[in-house]
Amino acid sequence: MINMKRNVIRKIIRGLSLTSAMFVFQACYGTPQDFGFDLLIEGQVKSKNSGLPIKGIKVSVADNMQYEMTDEEGKFSFYTGIIEGLTLQFQDIDSIQNGLYIDKDTVLTDFDENNYLDIALEEK
Amino acid sequence: MLSSIKKYSFRKFRDSETKRHELNYLFWECTTRCTLTCLHCGSDCSKDSLHRDMPAEDFFRAIDTIENIPPNFTVVFTGGEPLLRKDLEFCGKELRRRGFKWSIVTNGYLYDKQRHISLLNAGIGALTISLDGLKESHNWLRNNEKSFDKVINAIELASSSNRINFDIVTCVNQKNINELEQIKELLISKNVRAWRLFTIIPIGRAVHNPDLSLTDNQFVQLMDFIVECRKSRVIDVKFSCEGYVGKYEPLVRDSYFFCRAGINIGSILIDGSISACPNIDRTFSQGNIYKDNFYAVWENKFKPFRNREWTKIGQCESCKEFKDCQGNGFHNWHGDKKNVLVCHNEKIEKQRNADIV
Repeated sequence: MINMKRNVIRKIIRGLSLTSAMFVFQACYGTPQDFGFDLLIEGQVKSKNSGLPIKGIKVSVADNMQYEMTDEEGKFSFYTGIIEGLTLQFQDIDSIQNGLYIDKDTVLTDFDENNYLDIALEEK
Repeated sequence: MLSSIKKYSFRKFRDSETKRHELNYLFWECTTRCTLTCLHCGSDCSKDSLHRDMPAEDFFRAIDTIENIPPNFTVVFTGGEPLLRKDLEFCGKELRRRGFKWSIVTNGYLYDKQRHISLLNAGIGALTISLDGLKESHNWLRNNEKSFDKVINAIELASSSNRINFDIVTCVNQKNINELEQIKELLISKNVRAWRLFTIIPIGRAVHNPDLSLTDNQFVQLMDFIVECRKSRVIDVKFSCEGYVGKYEPLVRDSYFFCRAGINIGSILIDGSISACPNIDRTFSQGNIYKDNFYAVWENKFKPFRNREWTKIGQCESCKEFKDCQGNGFHNWHGDKKNVLVCHNEKIEKQRNADIV
């Protein structure tokens, strides 16, 4: 209740001084504030045939330089900005090392706070 | 009349914010190692620091004491050069896992494509990069002949990402004051959207180099440059919050001067000290994470930051601007603290008087 009252007073004073910048500050030697939106994408890549995890798959965001490689357990995890039609690409770039798999694209349509993807790649 | 109402309302707002002292912005001086030995460094950083980097677990133990975390609470990694820490991305992800945002201040020297990608993957949201002039003047101040090329590469990478909110900071000095227009054009050509201008206060290594301080005339030149830039809005140019600038308030920033050190801004320094902005005299430390509960210190101490009446001393004692200035930026109180180190408004007034004569 007290906090609500304080917030109302804050807003009134902000209006009177005709500036909205008062709540958006950065320290002298600090960075700007982060008002962007991103989401955490996590998941695991497995072989469709064997069900085993695949290491060394390049998981990248289409039209973006961001990517990550899957680890020993075929897992990946990274943040990326939210855009319409966010497309993730799964590519086998290490030739015969860790097996040979067909590339796959996945379009994310529903964004939750946590997006966990189970990806199965077909062997070539 | 309108201006008086705005000023009055702002003072009331500042008082209420001070009373509230919500921790929104936390610096972590995560290393004092640096890739460069800049002429103006306020931290006296060097390639081999006396301090070891603070272990990540010590930092997290301290911030896990924070209660009532406000929205948009941000941790800013500073140094030294934060990119020298190999666990930076791990720390960033840990912060995001706790629901915090994070960002870094960098000289750009180590900011290459690979690091840019790994920082994005770890959920970085904001960035500040230092560019201190065109090639010759930047490399002079940064004391390194490769620094300019490296920082331009960093700026291009940061510009290429829609995710990162970033700005460029420039320390204005004798060598670059007359190239500000060219720097602005360079930044626009690199798609930079925000540029913050600083002056250099005589602390750290800057004490020994008179070329770093601006004359009164040059300081006014800087203010006028910012005012002009802000009219065109091609790029968001502003003066930093380093000090009160009298008649230029609030023409050179988005709002009136308000030093939020210890009010909304805290820090955990390399030795565990709890303070506000890292360039503040270290004797103002309010506690230490290795002995004290960080959040209890934030809530219950910080008295000199939240009541600035003690700065009514020396030339501030009889100053008629005190109610708006409040002793200038907190980092301007060093040494015996008997007088403010730099009075920005005095520079402006002195120049105005010189112009009249």
